[in-house]
Amino acid sequence: MSREPSSLLYAKTHEWVDLAEDGGEKIATVGISAFAIELLTDLVYMDIPSVGTKVTAGEEFGEVESVKAVSPLYSPVDGEIVEVHAGLPDNLEALKGDPYQFGWIIKVKLSSESALSSLLDHAAYEKQCSEQA
Amino acid sequence: MQRTSLAVNDTAVIGRLIIDEPASGSWNMAVDAAILEALSPDSVPTLRFYRWARPTLSLGYFQALSDRSKHRESAGIDVVRRATGGGAIVHDRELTYSLTIATPTQRTGAVSWLYQRVHQCVISALATSGLHASRFGSSASDERRPVTSRPVSTGAEPFLCFQRRTEEDLIVSGYKVLGSAQRRGKHGVLQHGSLLLQASSFAPQLPGLLELAKSTGAELSTGISTEVARMLNCTWKKDVLNAEERVLATSIEQRRFGNANWVGAK
Repeated sequence: MSREPSSLLYAKTHEWVDLAEDGGEKIATVGISAFAIELLTDLVYMDIPSVGTKVTAGEEFGEVESVKAVSPLYSPVDGEIVEVHAGLPDNLEALKGDPYQFGWIIKVKLSSESALSSLLDHAAYEKQCSEQA
Repeated sequence: MQRTSLAVNDTAVIGRLIIDEPASGSWNMAVDAAILEALSPDSVPTLRFYRWARPTLSLGYFQALSDRSKHRESAGIDVVRRATGGGAIVHDRELTYSLTIATPTQRTGAVSWLYQRVHQCVISALATSGLHASRFGSSASDERRPVTSRPVSTGAEPFLCFQRRTEEDLIVSGYKVLGSAQRRGKHGVLQHGSLLLQASSFAPQLPGLLELAKSTGAELSTGISTEVARMLNCTWKKDVLNAEERVLATSIEQRRFGNANWVGAK
């Protein structure tokens, strides 16, 4: 099933979140938005942590290098990484063309839902992007 | 339009100018990282000039430590990993700067105007000393030829930063003399860069201003700081790290830049 940008939540720092239930657990799939990928221009490296790593909303969980800049990736949620897209760092060209399907980065089992209230819906995120463009 | 002036109501901001004594590579990198991490949205800009206690090879953030075997001349010198990307640099006879500024919005990726404006400041400061430098992206066609010295890597990109080319790199007589790189933080961006003053015996294939233009580069830090102040519409007040930054730098050096496991982790 395709993942529609309009149905996702977004951090102000440009990470998207797709929430789902799995066995009674809330799982957040996380990636970076098309707008962020546009700002990053040509991506050359990405570092993502391993399964089992604890992440905190607003704190770095990885890094990406584009031409001339290293930028942090911030976790939009609190929890533990239960799956990583291990093939992504070696296929960063494909990320640009498909940020919401192929471009998922990590899946996080939520330890708390308190950070979700800080996330933006698609319309609010679009507004933020248009103000920054 | 990108903001380049930091003035509020036409009152020039007083930025911090830090001129450090020579230090180890791990401390130098930790200080730049600490200034970035300590930024708040309303922090004033910090321009820092620093030197290296010993010749040091810095790896780009994502470069493998094992790749240093690609450059035999620097094999015996200290090594550190930078917080910024790009190729490796032999820091020896150079002027190193960092400029850290708060940015108003949550963006990501390179701050292009900062590269362009800072490098234009260096071009202006060099011109005042009678030296002609130009952006690689606007160089005459004979200066745009790829690396005139033999690259030391057979990979897609040369191992050494100064054998790579991007549009904003500064070129003198066909050779790259200034390269910069950025790292984003929560509240701003760090840009640091190296201006090659003279060829190092640990990277003899890279000429500096002395070999290319018979210039020692004396007083260039003054010229550059004057130009950057004009560009940001600020004035500089000499300063040192504050207590928060010093504690942070000590911690960062222990955990990252001075930690052999961290340096060798990639």
